[in-house]
Amino acid sequence: MHELSMATSMVDAILDTAKKNDAIKVTEAVLEVGELTMLNPEQLKFMIDVVREDTIMEEANIIINMIPIEIECESCGYEGEIVIDNTMDHLMAVATCPECEKASVHVRKGQECNVKTIKIEREDEDA
Amino acid sequence: MHNVASIEVEADMIRANNKLAEGNRKVLDENNVFSVDLVGAVGSGKTSLLETLIDQMDDSIGVIAGDILSKFDAKRIEDKNVPVKGLNTGKECHLDAHLVEHALDDVPLSDISILFVENVGNLICPADFQLGTHIRVVIISVTEGDDTAEKHPMIFKDADMAIVNKVDLADAVGADADKMVNDVKSINPNIPVVKCSLKTNEGVEEIISLFKKFQDEL
Repeated sequence: MHELSMATSMVDAILDTAKKNDAIKVTEAVLEVGELTMLNPEQLKFMIDVVREDTIMEEANIIINMIPIEIECESCGYEGEIVIDNTMDHLMAVATCPECEKASVHVRKGQECNVKTIKIEREDEDA
Repeated sequence: MHNVASIEVEADMIRANNKLAEGNRKVLDENNVFSVDLVGAVGSGKTSLLETLIDQMDDSIGVIAGDILSKFDAKRIEDKNVPVKGLNTGKECHLDAHLVEHALDDVPLSDISILFVENVGNLICPADFQLGTHIRVVIISVTEGDDTAEKHPMIFKDADMAIVNKVDLADAVGADADKMVNDVKSINPNIPVVKCSLKTNEGVEEIISLFKKFQDEL
């Protein structure tokens, strides 16, 4: 629901890095979004398209990688991904451990909203 | 031909927010102010709870009242003669640590012992954003339907206290308040859940004593 603010922050971070690296154009940006964030990747992409208009990243290929949820169980020590059963609310699944079914779990991964890498073009120094 | 480079950015927006939240916590700790992020849907009773707490708690209370556009909530708190900073998010569905950081400048921290931060009415988005408060309290009401907790597990997962409000209306709206308590417990087994009615004052004493307990544990 807050895709616009996240998109704005991400585009700012990309343009900021691009500027520091003397880019004339950003050709690709790889983003990571955790499955557990309240962000919808399609809406995020749409908002990025709105925000990046008339910037040097206007034509960049935006790649959004979803990061699966990983938990650590305090009761039985299970570490790893959770099993998502399509018949249940997937967010509810994070509340319980797939091994011992107890709810004392800590989320290790799945809460990212990260600008991972970008590809840029610079002017040739000889030019 | 231009030369091409690949650059590591590693700028995580949620981690950046968490870092600002740590800064807020530091400011609050330095001023010996215990702080509460109060989260709940539109009409769940956040402002009413604050009005009640201001009347019934001995502590000197300050409030940051988050709202999308209006100043209604801040005005209600102002009428209780406690320091309040209205915080309009403009178009955002949640408060974030950055907004709270600026609001803290306008709250007389040395004059208060508890700061309540009333979040924007929403059970979804605030789950992604820590503010730096010491605890998060989620308030839901029976009138939202008794499936409210199970539909919004993430907000309860990291909460420290939950309140099921308007229990006096449960029969009238055909809601099972105990089911709501059990749903919260199944998401977060260690969380205290209080059944409350701000109309009859049921549960208010328990809420106040829980705040004292959290404060003492710091």
